[in-house]
Amino acid sequence: MRGAIATGLTALLGGALMASAGAAQEAGEPGGPGLAIRARKALTAAREGEQVVDNAVLLIADGKIEAVGPALTTEVPEGYQVRDVGDHWLMPGMIDLHSHEGGTYDLNDTVYLINPELRIHGSVKPHNRKFKRALAGGVTTVLFIPGSGSNSGGQGVLLKTGLDSYEEALVRNPGSLKVAQWGNPEGWTIGVGKTFENYSLRNMFQRGLAYARRWEAHERGEGPEPERDIQWDLFRDLLAKRTQVATHTQVYQVVLETIVMIKGEFGVDVYIDHGSLGGWQAGALARELGVPAILGPRQADWPSRGIIGWAGVAPGRVQGSAAGYQTLGLEQIGFNTDAPVMPQEELFLQAGSAVRYGLDDEHLASVRGLTIIPAVTAGIDHLVGSLEPGKEADVLVISGEPADPRSSIEAVLIEGHLVYDTERDRRRF
Amino acid sequence: MMLRSAIPLLMLALAADAQSAGEAGGPGLALRAAKALTASMSGEAFIDHAVLLVKDGRIEALGSIDSTPVPEGYEVLDVGDAWISPGMIDLHTHVAGALGDLNDAVFQANPGLRASATVLPKNVLISRTVQGGITTVLLIPGSATNMGGQGVLLKTGFERYEDMCLRDPGSLKVAQGDNPTRWGYRMGRGLMNHHIRATSRKGIAYARAWEDFEAGRGPRPEKRLQLEIFRALRSGATQVATHTQAYTLVMNSILMLSGELGFDTYIDHGEWAGYKTAALAIEHGVAAICGPRELDAPHSRAGDTDGKILGVAAGYQERGMELVGFNTDSPVVPGETLPLQAATAVRFGFEDTDLESIKGVTIVPAMVAGIDDRVGSLEPGKDADVIVTSGDPLDPRSGVEIVLIEGRLVYAAPEVRTW
Repeated sequence: MRGAIATGLTALLGGALMASAGAAQEAGEPGGPGLAIRARKALTAAREGEQVVDNAVLLIADGKIEAVGPALTTEVPEGYQVRDVGDHWLMPGMIDLHSHEGGTYDLNDTVYLINPELRIHGSVKPHNRKFKRALAGGVTTVLFIPGSGSNSGGQGVLLKTGLDSYEEALVRNPGSLKVAQWGNPEGWTIGVGKTFENYSLRNMFQRGLAYARRWEAHERGEGPEPERDIQWDLFRDLLAKRTQVATHTQVYQVVLETIVMIKGEFGVDVYIDHGSLGGWQAGALARELGVPAILGPRQADWPSRGIIGWAGVAPGRVQGSAAGYQTLGLEQIGFNTDAPVMPQEELFLQAGSAVRYGLDDEHLASVRGLTIIPAVTAGIDHLVGSLEPGKEADVLVISGEPADPRSSIEAVLIEGHLVYDTERDRRRF
Repeated sequence: MMLRSAIPLLMLALAADAQSAGEAGGPGLALRAAKALTASMSGEAFIDHAVLLVKDGRIEALGSIDSTPVPEGYEVLDVGDAWISPGMIDLHTHVAGALGDLNDAVFQANPGLRASATVLPKNVLISRTVQGGITTVLLIPGSATNMGGQGVLLKTGFERYEDMCLRDPGSLKVAQGDNPTRWGYRMGRGLMNHHIRATSRKGIAYARAWEDFEAGRGPRPEKRLQLEIFRALRSGATQVATHTQAYTLVMNSILMLSGELGFDTYIDHGEWAGYKTAALAIEHGVAAICGPRELDAPHSRAGDTDGKILGVAAGYQERGMELVGFNTDSPVVPGETLPLQAATAVRFGFEDTDLESIKGVTIVPAMVAGIDDRVGSLEPGKDADVIVTSGDPLDPRSGVEIVLIEGRLVYAAPEVRTW
């Protein structure tokens, strides 16, 4: 078995080296010939339909997925290079919507209590050392975000991890508006509590959306051109649903406020991220208003310490966050690391812990929570998140179950480029 | 005793994931008890050998066993010698959420801050409040500023905010004297009084601009979150709850908030010599919710009692006030001891012949907060917020056996009580 894998991957490797030497495009890359990968199993993470294809063939052309299906019925077109990865599995690259590992750490400029104008893309260093390790853990897309030193830290940016320049790595900017509640932002200046945080955020949305509506009215020919104010520009993207609010939110009260204030009152697309502790108790309302929950880096709510300001209310038991949300009917459950709080490359372990603490994994909730759920949540599921025709070929070759720490990532493709290969690069994780 | 053997019936229905008898969507429930205290302001004060019919989370009927037939298909729960009364209401509590977050003293007046952002259902302290028979609370901001923000009216025993929320905004909290005087470089009564008036004047102007707009008489005003609450106050959708106790402050609450500014206002945290304003309060329709100190003691800072201990509630009552209620200021006094506030008032002279003490923890706070269409008495059409007690609910020797909120069983006393 090992021999067959080595042969398959080395073939990829050999081709890649040749390509760079000869400046030709490798199979699967934009401009190169087509690529067919044969594998024991493919986890598609498709939004709907089959999740598992046994003895699968994945066709890639021009950096995009062309087809995925059983080897018996999927014809490999003429001229395609065929790679056989033996007993390995294929799955879409993983997506982490809460990461601070996209470059330098100057991402917590807590000028005011709300700073929606600050843009993190000024800190990006593509192909940094941390990204290389993220790749080795199968993470191909991250939302690189500001810190939580204030109630709104600024604008995140969605990046691919394995590409060399900012313009190649960029998926979307602004990738999000970061909102943070409870815990860290309460340390701002003299200390703020939930009522003032809540007020500041409502005030921000109120003013920002009013600004965006003035622009919309102007563009419809119904008003004068407003003066450009970069503090509020992002709200034009939010109003037009070109980006989302990602709220660092974890205890019950602030998860509740995330849902009823941002989505309910202001109608802005929002998701819970850094979801942990007792927030799962708002799960029914999250389902009702269509607010996804991206959970981590703590996957469990521990028994209450009996202090009223503390979060836990699960009496005498360890309660899984994902299991809690799932039991209350929420289907959109994903995972994040908060790297470097948890290493970026350990994203899969978040899904593993969620299953350990009661997430029902019968329908591959663990794999979907690492791939298609965050893609849908961040509005990039037309590009990434599943092995479906037309999407970018961000593909992992993995030795077995993704949420099992005994499995390892053997190779990673991003947009058809072989960006990590254990045979070529040495194992990095 | 019969009571304990009856409870599993209700619990079983819960476990089976079906709707339990009395709940919305479930079969009807007939609750039989030795005595029912109605807390009705107009009808019978109590009914012996009573039957309470509950359907779809609401009270359908209350009467004596002889005159109240139980409809077909209703589950009967006989609580034997125990009594039933309406769930109690505490209009001054800080324990339905995170305590540390209730006092964001940003400005000296913060009418835009909302206590609803801090609610934590089923927390340790609010759960004990349920065990004390308190089913509705007004969770309010602290008193570190002259306007701490907006309270929220909540049902205590539920697991989710959306189920708990009875009304938001539940109140605008105003505080005068003592705590808010510590704000900034320390305030005196003159400046505090000015701040409350000035902020309210701005708020009223803002609300009027919206009223004009809605009547087609003016442009759409820009929304200002600090002043939104004044629209609710002007339309009568909520009230001003003033944390006010010493004579001068209670007088100002009445003259300024009710008289000058025209807000629906009530005294809460009422104590000390504030009762001396009773005639003025009655004239302005201002009710008094008293506690957590139910008496004006000799040599107290605020009072002058000629060496006597005077009851605060009795003081208001003697001067003709009919709407006198009680609050705890939990956690200053534990929320579950609300009945003791009423009992203490009786000890210090509060006349109780028409069960005024029971009314003071049920229908009076319900009327004062404008929620008596939903809660406060055992009357048809109201939410079935019912407590079963082993005897007189205000007697500390009685224990709460069962608590229903909107027909749902939210508490049944365990063998070993935690309260």
